[in-house]
Amino acid sequence: MPHSIEKDFTYSFDTKTTTSSLKVPLTVPLHISAKEFVSRLVHLHNLPCFVQQDLEDKLEEFVAKETIQLHDKNADDAIQKVKTGEIDSDDLIRQWLPVYSQELKSYAKPYQLSKDEKFAEVYHNLIHSPALETLLNLEHEYSLGVDKLTRERDRDLQHLQDKQRADMDEALQNVGSIYKDEDINLLAQKQFENTQIVEGKWSSELRALHEQQKNEYREWVFQVHEDSKGKAPLPAYVQRLRSLSSTLPDAGVDERQAHVTRLEESFTIHLGAQMKTTHNLRLLCTDILDLCRHKPHTVGGMVIPQPQRLQTAMSLYSNNLCGLILLADNRLNSYTGIKQKFAQICDSSTDFHFPTLDSQLQTIEQQLPKAAEVKAKKKGGNDDMDQLSLHSTSSSSSEEKEKSGDKKLHSGDFYLTKHSNLSEVHVVFHVVSDDNLRTSDITSRHPVILSIRNIIKLCFRYDINTLTVPLLLTHEMSEEMTISWCMKRAELMFKCVKGFMIEMATYSSQESKTIQFLVPRGLSEELFHQISNMIPTIFRLSNPLVVKSN
Amino acid sequence: MPALGSAEFGVRTFYAASHPNDKCGPNGLPLTPNSVKILGRFQYLTTLSHPRLCQYLDISKTKHECMIVISEHHKSSVKEKLNSGQGLSENAAVSLGFQILEGLTFLHEKNVVHRNLSMDNILIEKQGNIKLSEYGLYYMTDYGADVSFPIGLPHYMAPEVLCSGPLKVDEDSGQCIQPISGPKVDVWSFGIILLELLLGREVWSGLSLQETFVKLMLLIKSDMSPLDYLCQDASLSEKLKGTSKELKDLLRLCLTVSSSKRATSEEVKQHPIFRSSRENAVAHKREFDIFTAEVRSADLELPTYEETIANDFSDDHLSQRSMQEVYYLWRLAGGDLDGALRKAGMSKTRPPIHLLPCYGILDGDVFGQDRDNAELLNNTVITLSQEQLRFRLREIPATAYYPLLEDESKYLSENQLPASPSYGDLANSATLPLVIREKDVDYQFHRIILFERLLNAYPFKRPYIWREARVDIPPLVRAHVWAAILEVEGDLEGWYTSIDKETPTATDRQIEVDIPRCHQYHELLSSPTAHAKFKRVLKAWVLSNPQYVYWQGLDSLCAPFLALSFNSEALAFACLSAFIPKYLHKFFLRDNSAVIQEYLAVFSHLISFHDPELGNHLDGIGFIPDLYAIPWFLTMYAHVFPLHKIVHLWDTLLLGNSSFPLCIGVAILQQLRDRLLSFGFNECILLFSDMPEIDIERCVQDSIRIFCSTPKSATYRQHARPLKPKNSTDRPNVSYYSRDYHDQPQTDLSMEPIPLEELKSEKYPRISAEDLIELGELAGSANSRSPTKKRQNSKPMILILDVRHHEEYKRGTLQGSINIPFQTAFSPEGELNPCPAVQILNSRRNQVIVVVGNRGRFAANFANELVRLGYSRVCVLHKGIDIFRTTNLLIIPPADI
Repeated sequence: MPHSIEKDFTYSFDTKTTTSSLKVPLTVPLHISAKEFVSRLVHLHNLPCFVQQDLEDKLEEFVAKETIQLHDKNADDAIQKVKTGEIDSDDLIRQWLPVYSQELKSYAKPYQLSKDEKFAEVYHNLIHSPALETLLNLEHEYSLGVDKLTRERDRDLQHLQDKQRADMDEALQNVGSIYKDEDINLLAQKQFENTQIVEGKWSSELRALHEQQKNEYREWVFQVHEDSKGKAPLPAYVQRLRSLSSTLPDAGVDERQAHVTRLEESFTIHLGAQMKTTHNLRLLCTDILDLCRHKPHTVGGMVIPQPQRLQTAMSLYSNNLCGLILLADNRLNSYTGIKQKFAQICDSSTDFHFPTLDSQLQTIEQQLPKAAEVKAKKKGGNDDMDQLSLHSTSSSSSEEKEKSGDKKLHSGDFYLTKHSNLSEVHVVFHVVSDDNLRTSDITSRHPVILSIRNIIKLCFRYDINTLTVPLLLTHEMSEEMTISWCMKRAELMFKCVKGFMIEMATYSSQESKTIQFLVPRGLSEELFHQISNMIPTIFRLSNPLVVKSN
Repeated sequence: MPALGSAEFGVRTFYAASHPNDKCGPNGLPLTPNSVKILGRFQYLTTLSHPRLCQYLDISKTKHECMIVISEHHKSSVKEKLNSGQGLSENAAVSLGFQILEGLTFLHEKNVVHRNLSMDNILIEKQGNIKLSEYGLYYMTDYGADVSFPIGLPHYMAPEVLCSGPLKVDEDSGQCIQPISGPKVDVWSFGIILLELLLGREVWSGLSLQETFVKLMLLIKSDMSPLDYLCQDASLSEKLKGTSKELKDLLRLCLTVSSSKRATSEEVKQHPIFRSSRENAVAHKREFDIFTAEVRSADLELPTYEETIANDFSDDHLSQRSMQEVYYLWRLAGGDLDGALRKAGMSKTRPPIHLLPCYGILDGDVFGQDRDNAELLNNTVITLSQEQLRFRLREIPATAYYPLLEDESKYLSENQLPASPSYGDLANSATLPLVIREKDVDYQFHRIILFERLLNAYPFKRPYIWREARVDIPPLVRAHVWAAILEVEGDLEGWYTSIDKETPTATDRQIEVDIPRCHQYHELLSSPTAHAKFKRVLKAWVLSNPQYVYWQGLDSLCAPFLALSFNSEALAFACLSAFIPKYLHKFFLRDNSAVIQEYLAVFSHLISFHDPELGNHLDGIGFIPDLYAIPWFLTMYAHVFPLHKIVHLWDTLLLGNSSFPLCIGVAILQQLRDRLLSFGFNECILLFSDMPEIDIERCVQDSIRIFCSTPKSATYRQHARPLKPKNSTDRPNVSYYSRDYHDQPQTDLSMEPIPLEELKSEKYPRISAEDLIELGELAGSANSRSPTKKRQNSKPMILILDVRHHEEYKRGTLQGSINIPFQTAFSPEGELNPCPAVQILNSRRNQVIVVVGNRGRFAANFANELVRLGYSRVCVLHKGIDIFRTTNLLIIPPADI
């Protein structure tokens, strides 16, 4: 059913001796005014000016008539199709129903806040009220509880390990005399089982503690919220509040000093050719997990939460989130390397808002088949393009991959976990990377860099205003990272991120973002300064404020 | 734009559908977000004004594709009449129906299909007349393709809409697959509404969504006429029994399943039943247009005093102002859209952390995200309270609403501000920074009213407009004021229409490449609607100027005009056509190098003239204007700055002559002076490749200062526009300086063309004898050509430096000149040898130093040396002292200085 149709318009007029006629094709509906079309005709066919008005009237009439006919024909066709049964009317109604019930508020089911969201709302209110300090202290108390348990666990496991080692040593010494080889194997197996049992016991204990704390905490929060809503001017709630906050002694002078100063430098930059948007960049040198981990912080001898914690808690449900990019391998678990360390940090206190890391990973796993489907579809749809964008993944045996199927993560994919108990981060993007990141010749089309683009896009879409990016795309210094390697990588990343920022800012609001470029600890101070000197050559810094003496 | 009257401002929001991830359009560029498309299409709707329609006022886009539409609103709707339970009498229904039809036929005439007609959006204003609202949703969303919700309620849905099925969007074109609804769908809805008015309840009341659809489907499939089908309902047939045959006939006309057999709105309006309504109807007057060849006051009727009284003359003067103007003031008076929406709970969204996806693949698709329920279409309308605005304006006396323009005593007064009792305040406000003035509701109120009245009297009041524009230009009326300053007049629409903008030409490709890069951060200009308009205006210009070609940069020049007069391509085109000859004469020649080279040479003279240190430095490192300033001048800075800065720059630029842009260039360099002086060549290139922020108000002030301290002939260019044939007396001859040099009559003492080579070899400008006489008041102040009384600093002071031999100097020189003979002036080290004349020179460093020699190169060399030594404002008398031989201005200098 066409939106427009080509029609021939004929017009004739008389002059003294001859009758001239004109036939032109035109598209109905006409997208310019009849007047303009007529002036085109007049120019083109050199028509006399006295026919202009008449021609215009005729044309207008013609277009109006044809337009109505076009609409009528389209409409009648549609009706006819239903009447003749070519289109099934029940089917049609079935198509119509969701359109109204899912898109119009007046037809949709009223939205029910989930339990988590109700809690979120209450929490967000409380954290922006005088109860803030109490909340944080309470959270901190709980985290100390967890801390205690984990320490016990570690001690226990250590103890077990020591004992097992001693047993094993002894057994090995006596191989051949008292023990046979099979006995050793048996012992090893038994020890392993024991460890598993003990670990299992501790982890279930930890889980139970998390669960218990979470429930208690949530209950408490709702309770306080109820109290504060109550008409009687805040008796119970204030008292609870006071009792907690009054126990805090004043800070000692030495304690106010920051513990470790990390190397960092900040820049304010402008992006864009004509319209400039202002953003902040920060280059910092530290371990990436330092942004997650709560450091012990004492005031007057008492361990209390860090100040960053306050910021993170207050902005959790706001439109100002903090994100972090963590490079991960292509397995969705947390058994090894940095993933394991990260998981330990997550478990070191209770997340009162979001599911545990494990269950978040499970949720993610459920999405994998869907993703695989989309990927397969894209692959089928456009082979060439796919090859182009995927050529850098190690696709030696793509068929094998297909088989092992839907659950595989590919380089450049990322999964996202949300946390409320990390020190400076709400959202962690786990980018699946591969080994060729270590080589020095990666390009801007490398999957990990493309993935960073996707992440920056998400940041613009979901109000993540601070994003931490591992500048060198590694979390640790290693041998092959020479000065030139680092400089090259840094330059590539700066340029790519700049490009992505400009791209994403095109159609979105003029919000300013903060990008933190993180270099691993162990980078020499000199190299750090070299990298930071590179920033002004790649980004346009905002105008320096020059103080003049006169 | 109609007057405010008793209208309120209503706000609605809806969400545009977001594109699937990373899709690209056929041109390879990422797809334009639907919200931006809507923004562009919406603009046309604001031009629709009719007494039966709620005026559309404004649209804005907030985060996440949320659109906020502001339009005229009235609190009561026809639905309330229905809720009373009683049906209307036949007469009442007919007269209401006629009013609805008036609105519908107007819309259909303007090629807008309502598609959304329902009881809720037929509003009733205070006087009891109806106003259609929400009629633009279908149009602005590209017939529903840009949103994910359906438009129109099931009850009022025409059969063809139902049968076409829910809208599907074609992935490649972004348009809907189904045919676009024709105007006759509204006629069906109108029929249903008329029926409901009579019935006093909904036709299908109490039915669920599904039941409604099923009923409608059965109706379509049955062979009965829809009216008969509906009459199976007992209460309905009961009700219709009492009605006239004519009315039933009318209903049958509207409620016809087949579209081809259904009447059009115009045919329905001509139905006999509306005979008396038609007779009583008042013809809708056309909008007042200041650019037309028609007689504008042809049907002007002044109401008699009695009529005015009878018409209930109200004290509410604000309600007489146009709706758009009041809305503009409302925003200035602290009107807060977001706040109003938040208060009504309309902008409540879920915290983003709950909405985040949990998995994303390389191609950018994400999984596991939640949909925000706030994105569903919510039909609630929020009314904006006008209280705050009225409170802010409460002190303003009635007379301020009707300022007199012809009051002679004020006409002549020194200050050009409108006289009003709060005059004192205004004079104070006028000295505040522009950004503050533009946000000051009181100030803008007076300025807008004044300008509006002046514009109504355009072109007669052009000198007055010109004078007021020197104070400032209110943003609301800027488009027309610019046109007035550019002396645009006549039947623009006719002129523009007569140009063929459709036939493909050779430049199309380049234009199409340039447009998607031109000021695309500007939401309006990045919309497809804007792109189409851009192309048409540019093509029209290229076609109507066959002597010129399309150079890149023309698109940037067009952008400010198009952004200001978005709904009138003709006006944008006319302004562009007037702007280019004035400032960029011959710049768009196929071979424009001579023109540009001359322009740049004069520019470097000007840099050295005002800032020799900077000029010497840039010269020294070889950073010549050719490397950075061509886009500045070719686009008159429109390529360099964002639009909100360009408008402020051009507000002043338009008032200046064709040399003023050169002064802006110098002002920009001065703002970057410190950095440029410390930079080498590469850093300079880098600095200008991505222009740093420039404080535009300071830049404007600086350039005015620079302009005033530059002798007119110093910026002489042989390629500037020659003298215009008609000597326009419209523009007040406010100062000798704001006129173009070329507009002055030429004499022997005037400037004349200088070969480019010579121009480039010199580091200083030349001035004409004429200018020297003027500046030095050599002919006595009475003969001065500048009519305004000079203040001390309105004109540069000069020092005439005669560099000829002492003997020649003795024989005759200009009054007040000092003599430093070139041969003996400089030490071997290149310093000036101290002598009394040098002392005078050093003591008057801020004055313009005019180096006067004779035909040899003495003067030129001397001046070059002075520039090298860092003397500012050095220029040379063109053609030397000999030119004064014929005048009687040469005198014998007093013995020994």
